[in-house]
Amino acid sequence: MKRIVLRPDYCIGCRSCEAACRSRFKGEARIRHGEVTTDALLPQGCRHCEDPLCAAACPFQVIVKDPDTGVVRKSDFHCVGCRSCALACPFGVIPPLLMRHMSQKCTLCSDRPEGPRCVQTCPTGALQFTEDDRMPEKKAGVGFAVRSVHGRRVQ
Amino acid sequence: MTQPTRTTCPFCLNGCTSGVEFNGVVHQMHYFADAEVNKGRLCPRGNSANIVIDHRERLCRPLLDGRDSTWAEAEALVRAWRSEVKPEEIAIVYSRGRAADEVRRLHGLAEELGTPNLACGHIEPENWFNARLEGVRDATLADIEAAKSMLLVGDVFNTSPVASWRMLDARYSDRKNRVIVVDSVKTRQAGFAHFFLQVRPGTEPLALMALAALIDPGAAHGVDVDRYTELAGVKRQQLEAAADMLGPAVPGFVASAMHTGRVVHPSLHSLASQFVAKVAAKPFTGFRETGLPFGPTRFADLRRAMAEGRIKLLFWTGGLFPFSYAELLPETAKVEHLIATSIFSPDPPVRGLVLPMTAELERASVGRSYWGEVERSPLAAPLSGTRQFGQMVEWFGRAAEKPETVVKPSGVDDVLAMAARAAGIPPATGEWLLIGEKKAIGLRGFHDPEDEVSVNRADAARLGASAHSYLMIKSPTAEREFRVHLADAVPTGVLMIGTNVHANRCLFPLAADELTGEVTVAPAPVSVEKTARAPVAASENLTVWV
Ligand code: SF4
Ligand code: SF4
Ligand code: SF4
Repeated sequence: MKRIVLRPDYCIGCRSCEAACRSRFKGEARIRHGEVTTDALLPQGCRHCEDPLCAAACPFQVIVKDPDTGVVRKSDFHCVGCRSCALACPFGVIPPLLMRHMSQKCTLCSDRPEGPRCVQTCPTGALQFTEDDRMPEKKAGVGFAVRSVHGRRVQ
Repeated sequence: MTQPTRTTCPFCLNGCTSGVEFNGVVHQMHYFADAEVNKGRLCPRGNSANIVIDHRERLCRPLLDGRDSTWAEAEALVRAWRSEVKPEEIAIVYSRGRAADEVRRLHGLAEELGTPNLACGHIEPENWFNARLEGVRDATLADIEAAKSMLLVGDVFNTSPVASWRMLDARYSDRKNRVIVVDSVKTRQAGFAHFFLQVRPGTEPLALMALAALIDPGAAHGVDVDRYTELAGVKRQQLEAAADMLGPAVPGFVASAMHTGRVVHPSLHSLASQFVAKVAAKPFTGFRETGLPFGPTRFADLRRAMAEGRIKLLFWTGGLFPFSYAELLPETAKVEHLIATSIFSPDPPVRGLVLPMTAELERASVGRSYWGEVERSPLAAPLSGTRQFGQMVEWFGRAAEKPETVVKPSGVDDVLAMAARAAGIPPATGEWLLIGEKKAIGLRGFHDPEDEVSVNRADAARLGASAHSYLMIKSPTAEREFRVHLADAVPTGVLMIGTNVHANRCLFPLAADELTGEVTVAPAPVSVEKTARAPVAASENLTVWV
């Protein structure tokens, strides 16, 4: 399946990905630029897990993994806003804050022929929408290494 | 869904192509991958265009002293007020949201009315990129793409995220290429630098003058390198290393940005950045959100005239009045008749007449970008109830466009003299210095609440505070309680807060740049203490996402 990949060597932390998603969903962003540690902030979005725990936790089977595309989708119409999915997600990427009494879950913008908004808008091209089998090409730090002021190796 | 409209984003000078599509109910952003400058990519501000168009707080009827009025009443009032006052008692101020053609029209209007009082009220330090040094060329996209050595002063990536991808591509294209960053905060951009010079807040110009002197001692005569480096809190060896990387033989560019609340001498910050560009034989770009030229009158003088009651009628025309410049409300309160234009309902409410203006996104205009003039077409139909800028100007006069005031470029001797004066001004004293951070906008309605203060771990321990506990910051003008965000990027003795929201901006007293006398928002000495409020654990706090 196609996934959103982050190349940290290009991410400048501008939060445009978050703004693009938020401007579409009128307030709530499904990808968040947040702290990994106090020194590292990175965009964190849904991984579209192989065996999604959010889907398992949903009492009404509102979240399902699409067998064809691999996208973990949520049908807003049937969501009762119980937040089970937000609690179950091991990556914490479903915001516990409800919008219009529903939880907010990234659907990889599967309604859009052009693909995910966050990827299209990312000013540096740090976010990419890539097939699983092309993942190794996206590895960070493969060019040359320089130690940055944050002590991380950059390409 | 209609065909997407296409235009050049008006929110900064990067000139990105942006667009919206309309599904009959709301507007959504559209990204044009074929765009030359930005490949369809947009920054958070650019991404908020649809939020501005559909915002529920858009103003769509005139307000008089905070209550609803009508266009007929507004027009009659403006005409009556105008006939009551003498020409020299009229002042016109333009600020964020005015396009280049509209500013030219205001220059024509001031002439027609016979008033000398026309000023640019955009008090953010970035406006000082209007100050130019003679003999320095503007950088082009090709300069950035071919760069081998890049000097970034201030947080350029944050100011123009979409310009940064070319810089990153240039950085990664050859392992010998070099990025040098001069800033008071160890920002994300500093993480991409090969060489990061962390200076004391507000001393960037002194570090830059010393750097220029090391690149070309002949050009920077009279610069006391040791004294300037000491004042800036950097070491001579560091500057020598940076000077080596920036030699005139290496192609590259100098880019500079200024953040509100982080710059003490904006004029010198601009000129010193250009001075390094000049001695290093590099082109220059000053990155900023608006391209507003200065008016014939200095804003500081106009502000004084308002405070002294010499202005009877003020026409303040900006897209966001009084959001952006609410700190100026005390002066405007002294003016008998205030006429302001705004695209949003004013908050706090203002006395006088507030006219709902068509947003810049909803009309054709002419603007500037770093890379040349741009023509903009409307992204959406004008909101009903609003009027175009030109229609309101007509109430005052016919007003043809007139070229704006051109600032004479400064010479090298002017810059050297300014730097020498700046080095003689004692730095702000006090245990804690409050500085500003530009946060992404277009989030959660219009702005983040910006209720966090960034402070480094050692300082937090000194205050007895930990992550997510609360600090009360008191400045001479205001106070506000903030949640602690631990960030070792911030230097010792410094507290950093966002400067988009009014509650934070009020903490910075408006300062006069001692070199020019012009109004600016500079770092402010403050007092701070931990409050009794219990820390909120990240897991309980719905606004912090970990
Ligand atoms: S838009 Fe791109 S560069 Fe900006 S925070 Fe998101 S991933 Fe990083
Ligand atoms: S793919 Fe679409 S829904 Fe998912 S985070 Fe990106 S913009 Fe939001
Ligand atoms: S970088 Fe400037 S022009 Fe480009 S989207 Fe952002 S505000 Fe608009």
